[in-house]
Amino acid sequence: MSIREYWTHPWGRRVLLVLVVLALLAPVFGAASERVGYTEPLEVAAEETGASGSADPVTSTPLAEYSVPGLPAPLGTLASALLGSAIVLVSMLALSRLLARGQ
Amino acid sequence: MHIPDGYVDLPIAAVFAIIAGVTLAIAARRSGDRLEGSQAPLVGVTAAGIFAAQMLNWPLPIPGGTSAHFVGGAFAGIVLGPHLGVLAMSAVVVVQALLFGDGGLTVLGANVFNMAIVEVYVGYAIFRIGRRWNDVGAAFVAGWVAAGAGAIGVAVQLGVSSAFNYELLTVLVIMGGGHAVLGVVEGVITAIVYQAVIRSRPDILPSATREVAV
Repeated sequence: MSIREYWTHPWGRRVLLVLVVLALLAPVFGAASERVGYTEPLEVAAEETGASGSADPVTSTPLAEYSVPGLPAPLGTLASALLGSAIVLVSMLALSRLLARGQ
Repeated sequence: MHIPDGYVDLPIAAVFAIIAGVTLAIAARRSGDRLEGSQAPLVGVTAAGIFAAQMLNWPLPIPGGTSAHFVGGAFAGIVLGPHLGVLAMSAVVVVQALLFGDGGLTVLGANVFNMAIVEVYVGYAIFRIGRRWNDVGAAFVAGWVAAGAGAIGVAVQLGVSSAFNYELLTVLVIMGGGHAVLGVVEGVITAIVYQAVIRSRPDILPSATREVAV
């Protein structure tokens, strides 16, 4: 099955739809986790051992924390989810084709 | 579970960068055994789906960790096979770090090691052993244990670093304990999505064709 056939196949389209739905849900889950006070065990461990202040990013990105400058947080999260998914999709498609061709 | 810059001592980060680089090279070589051009879309959508699913922070009323997100390492290994799974998860971790600053640059190797290498290989191994009894149950255990294994990897890297005052035991207890609970969510999602794939396209799983040598 070629890549074009895959996307025109009902299963391929359904998978793409799932990706879009997941991206649409991201801002909803983001808001919900904010309400309960988002904390991961990694942050708890950092606080417990006094490491919290040691985080020191060596690079900066305009899309830090899955936000987009100028956009409200929910829209920024949605845009980040769509953009990130698209980049991962395209890069893995390209890598897979490259690896398959190399065999 | 994404470690930021500054949390892990640089020599330790360098060691894990080398381990991750070598493992990715091996995975790329071996994944070709099973990869055909027509499978590229499956690899792409699995990786993209894991990226999108990781953005869903599940609000959980658990002390010491009130939110969890699906990591997807075990799922990637089950659906794509271990080597392609490692590559797919690595793409997710790299994009998160470079584009969104989720996980540091100096600790990229450590993050790839924990989430893309440990989780995928541990998850795949558990699924492969357990599926002879019950494949959906095996997917659940694979997701659960893989999340814990990745967390222990994080804990060891942090616990032997100066920023965490070398409090290895404290970090191990918090990370291991927290993810033992949060890993249940990982296991449930892994099992549910695995079942959905089995019902709609059982032919795409590596187990439908042949075993993948680890």
